[in-house]
Order: sequence, then structure tokens, then C-alpha cells
Amino acid sequence: MEYKLRKAEPRDVSDILRLVKELAKYEEMEDQVTLTEKELLEDGFGDTPFYHCIIAELQGKNSSDDGKVVGFVMYYFTYDPWVGKQLYLEEFYVMDEYRGMGIGSGLLRHLSDLAMNTRCTGMMFVVAENNEPSIQFYKLRGAEDLSQEEGWRLFRFSKNSLVKMGTPVEE
Amino acid sequence: MASFILRKAEPRDVSDIMRLIKELAKFEEMEEKVVLTEKDLLEDGFGDHPFYHCLVAEVPKLQGSEGYTVIGFAMYYFTYDPWIGKLLYLEDFYVMQEFRGLGIGSKILKVLSEKAVKTRCSGMHFIVAENNTKSIEFYKRRGAADLSSEEGWRLFEIEKDDLLKMTAK
Repeated sequence: MEYKLRKAEPRDVSDILRLVKELAKYEEMEDQVTLTEKELLEDGFGDTPFYHCIIAELQGKNSSDDGKVVGFVMYYFTYDPWVGKQLYLEEFYVMDEYRGMGIGSGLLRHLSDLAMNTRCTGMMFVVAENNEPSIQFYKLRGAEDLSQEEGWRLFRFSKNSLVKMGTPVEE
Repeated sequence: MASFILRKAEPRDVSDIMRLIKELAKFEEMEEKVVLTEKDLLEDGFGDHPFYHCLVAEVPKLQGSEGYTVIGFAMYYFTYDPWIGKLLYLEDFYVMQEFRGLGIGSKILKVLSEKAVKTRCSGMHFIVAENNTKSIEFYKRRGAADLSSEEGWRLFEIEKDDLLKMTAK
């Protein structure tokens, strides 16, 4: 079964949402996905895209699977004040039944090309500490665990906390 | 009591931003790791497509330390969470030692919070070194949650050399 990788287009938002939910389900967090297709459309394909996606699509001349979207990466650019632009890998998923075909490696290679072409100094991403298969997949390719090596911890202010910290809204 | 203002950074601020980045790196004992130049900062922050945004804190000339009037800054950009959408990511946050305790840090965080809410972000993310207890307390007092602790996230990086190895030959 052949596949091709391409930049996501507006028509792909329903597949992107489907895959986002599948990955969330795998992490047992499906109910936490509140994003809608409308938001994905506005945020990814408006004047200022807040994210970019590469889609993996099946190619089979006589197959009913032809054109089926079976994997994706979601990424955006971040900035490290010591070295400059970085590519940030936000989401990376290939449907279970289509693994072992090199799609994951292909996506990562495509992203590496992209990072080099856009003069990024590195690629960053987070992995759950109990996700052994993914940690191995990345370490095999040279990834370093900065949380371990440099002690970085990821923090979050939720919207409620932000509202509390901001100027109170006038009555 | 020092008075100060917060404002959006302008192209003329890049040398001050560079200076403050290096000061913060020095505090973390990593000064030699800063390879970024003023030219990079200018292109990357003030070109057609800004890769970062900065807020700078300025005091009146007479109060400045050694002639500097820009005495603090925050560098941020927007990221995307596929479950909830846009986030504001706080990358660097620093106030010169002699100007701390005056509410500048709190004010910067307040302005950033307003920015995040105004641009319809679902939250603000940032990383903190696990041994930086002072900063951790500063953030936790304001409601920040340690996602590394609560959800087990670990930050990884693939550096340029290894990216090159993976690129198509």
C-alpha cells in the first residue's frame, strides 16, 4: 500500500479533527477535545495560521482506501532566545492499522527537511513519561530528554487563572 | 518608588533585548549558549512574519541602571493545542535584579494575561527549571499548574545535527 505526504488543505479539517480525537482516545482523554472543525479552519487557514499540518494519504489505484487520510503531524514555529527559530512538533499520529509501513519515519523526515529549509536550529516536542514506544522511537533518532537532562518542567495557566490575573471587566 | 511603563518592543529595542537575554542566561550559568545575534532578533521579530513578540519594561532615564532604561522584558509567541486551540507561550521573562520587588513582574504577567484572553487563547504555557523554586512559587501563587508533575510531560529536543541525519539524501 503506497502513501503520499502533503500539506493539509481546508478540506482536511474533518480528517484532522478525527485523528486528533483518535489520538486523544488512545490517551484516554477524548472528552477533553473541545476544539471544533470551524476553529481548526479559522486557526489553520486564515490570514495568520496558528498551526500547520502534513497529512499522510493512502494511494491505491483500485483500492477503496485510495485517498484515505491515515496519519498526520501538526506543528508550528517557536523561538528560543539563545538560538532562534525552532520547529515545534505538537501532534504526531498514524492510525494503528497503518503502522509499520514507514509512514511515521516519512513524516519525521519531511519535518526535518522543513526545519532545515526554514533555518530552524532544532525540533522540540513533549512526550508523556510513560509512553515508552514513542520515547524509544525518538531517542533512536537522536532526541534528548531535556526534562531529564536539564530539569525543565512544563507549566500552565488555565483561562480561569488568566482572567483572575487580568484587569477586572467593567460592570 | 520607581515608576515604570510597559510597552510593545520596537526594532530599536533589539540591543536591550539581547542584553537582557544574555543577563538571564548568565543567571542560569549558560551565557556561552546564546548564539543569537541582534540581526537575527531584528529579522525574526520585526519582519513580515514575526516569530516572537516582546513586551519591555522601561524606567525614566534618571533611574536607569548604568544608563539603561529598559530593565525588564517578556518574550512570547502563540502555540496551538489540538484539544483546545490557541495558547500564549511565555518563552522568556526577566526583570533586572535591582528593579525587582516593585511589581514589574506582576504587571508584565497581568498584561500578558489580558493579551491571552483578548486573542482568545485557552491558556498560557511556559517551562520552569525544577530547581528554580522562587519562580515556581511566583507562578503557583497565581494559579499555575505543574503539568510535568500532574500529567507526566517531558520536554524533548532533536538538535540540528540529528535533523540533518534524518533529511532525505
